[in-house]
Amino acid sequence: MSLLKQIYYLIVRDLNVRFKRPATFIPALFISGFFFLAFGYAFQSFTRLPGFPTTNYIAFLTPFILLQSMVFSSGDAGFSILTDILSGYFDKLLLTPINRFSILFASLFTASLRALIQALLIISLAVGLGVSFSTGIPGILAVIWFATTFGVAWSCIGIAVALLTRNAEATQSYFVLFFPAVFLTTGFVPLELLPGWFQTLARINPVTYVMNAARDIVVQGWTGTVLTGLIVLAAFTVVLMGVTTWIFRRSTA
Amino acid sequence: MIQPKVVEVDDLVKVYPNGVRAVSNISFNIAPGEFIGLLGPNGSGKSTVIKILSTLIRKTSGKVMVAGYNIDQHPEAVRQHIGVALQDVGLDDLSTARDFLFLQGLLYGLNRNAARQKVNELLELVGLTSVAGRKVGTYSGGMRRRIDLVSALMHDPVIIFLDEPTTGLDPQSRLNIWEYLRQLNRNGKTILLTTQLMQEADLLCRRIAILDLGKIVTAGTPEELKREVGGDIITVSIDSLNPSDRKAAIEKAGSIVKNLDYVLNTAALEDRLNITVREGGKVVADILRLLQDHRIIVSNLSLSGPTLDDVFLKYTGRNIRAEETAGGAANQAVRSLLRVGRR
Repeated sequence: MSLLKQIYYLIVRDLNVRFKRPATFIPALFISGFFFLAFGYAFQSFTRLPGFPTTNYIAFLTPFILLQSMVFSSGDAGFSILTDILSGYFDKLLLTPINRFSILFASLFTASLRALIQALLIISLAVGLGVSFSTGIPGILAVIWFATTFGVAWSCIGIAVALLTRNAEATQSYFVLFFPAVFLTTGFVPLELLPGWFQTLARINPVTYVMNAARDIVVQGWTGTVLTGLIVLAAFTVVLMGVTTWIFRRSTA
Repeated sequence: MIQPKVVEVDDLVKVYPNGVRAVSNISFNIAPGEFIGLLGPNGSGKSTVIKILSTLIRKTSGKVMVAGYNIDQHPEAVRQHIGVALQDVGLDDLSTARDFLFLQGLLYGLNRNAARQKVNELLELVGLTSVAGRKVGTYSGGMRRRIDLVSALMHDPVIIFLDEPTTGLDPQSRLNIWEYLRQLNRNGKTILLTTQLMQEADLLCRRIAILDLGKIVTAGTPEELKREVGGDIITVSIDSLNPSDRKAAIEKAGSIVKNLDYVLNTAALEDRLNITVREGGKVVADILRLLQDHRIIVSNLSLSGPTLDDVFLKYTGRNIRAEETAGGAANQAVRSLLRVGRR
């Protein structure tokens, strides 16, 4: 049986048992809608600051909303695997003659599908709130790609923590990363308007570069920042996938 | 021609990272069609052996061939030929029994039609056809065991590994599982089963290896093993309010009968004395009279042929259900407290 077929069967199972309930998406969409309303309107006057790149704060905020929702939901993949580990089903899969990596690949595929749907919903919401992409349709596609890839990368962290700890509390607690990852960035104001120490922290945070790239696509155009963001995201994703694959191999052999 | 072996285990050792030596130089073979039991208490290494043979964990050293494949070199080929039901069932609670089994079939490489057919056949075998559309999470413990068991049979494995397949089940479910296993073996399936239930091993298995502390202490057919005990067992229970009095009485009884010429062996346990004798029927009255002459108050006396428990006792000096005996002693202590309180 080919690897693709195995992955396909596992994806179908994932979609069947967990995914077909629309409720899966509600928490992430709720928080996204809430942030749009709470921050999007509260901080509207930021756009009057000198050097602010746009007059539409909702547009400025869109990359933040997208990326935070990816981090917010990134635990799902880890929890799916953890549920299987705790129920003993994971061992049952390991007992079948499938290539064990197909379990990981299927899980990452499901995670990317979830991220993609989330990105589409949020962008629809943004467009509905009057955001227009300066780069048009190619820009929308690029932002969707940025958000989805970023979502898969974060899902790797959830999977890795689940495999390493095999414990629900620990898998839950990695969520605290959400706050520094999402808030110590240029999510609300451009880097130049942040205080010095905050700038330093935001510069260390790889999320900042992805955020800036997505933002330039929305409000400015294809700038050099987009290329930097692309490189940072690629590196971030490759490292996390590599580490997670290594942990997966170690914990299944 | 030498009959090919389904399982060949040679000098198997497993030392866990924390230093626990779970399996110590075990060797055994299984021929096609055999029904083999690994009998032993908790922690004797049974589950570890099963997990190594089914490629879930790695061995420390030794050589293991399963279904003609080396487990290190061809683990995927091994998995294709074995069916495994672990001690803890591994079900997908959100899936229906039918979907769960169907997916198992696909993952073992069956095509859709073959998988569908096999699912129907196996659901019928364990009498779950009528509830096959329900989510597995809603099943009772016995039903979960049955589904878990047949999920190991989807691909017609050449050998089935079962780790304590009836632990935690009610007596009726246990009898059901035993019946399925017998049926499978009659139809030619080779089965390796682990258990801590003497009765289970005795009833089902044609060959038994008794494990203790990671070693095989003895092996043979149930009859051979029981014959090794060499006689019948007279069990003398001595009831006393005070555990230390009881212990003294049991030891005294042991010393009284130990040197009789028909007594082969004695074993003093928590609340009773096991006396292994020749021709138990003839000597039981004699022993009772002797104990009464020494003013030992016998609360209960029974005569039985040897059981596998006696075999275990003979080789290890311990009762196979040591944990349970400890629990029983605690219960007894509570009961005597209650009795004192009532006076």
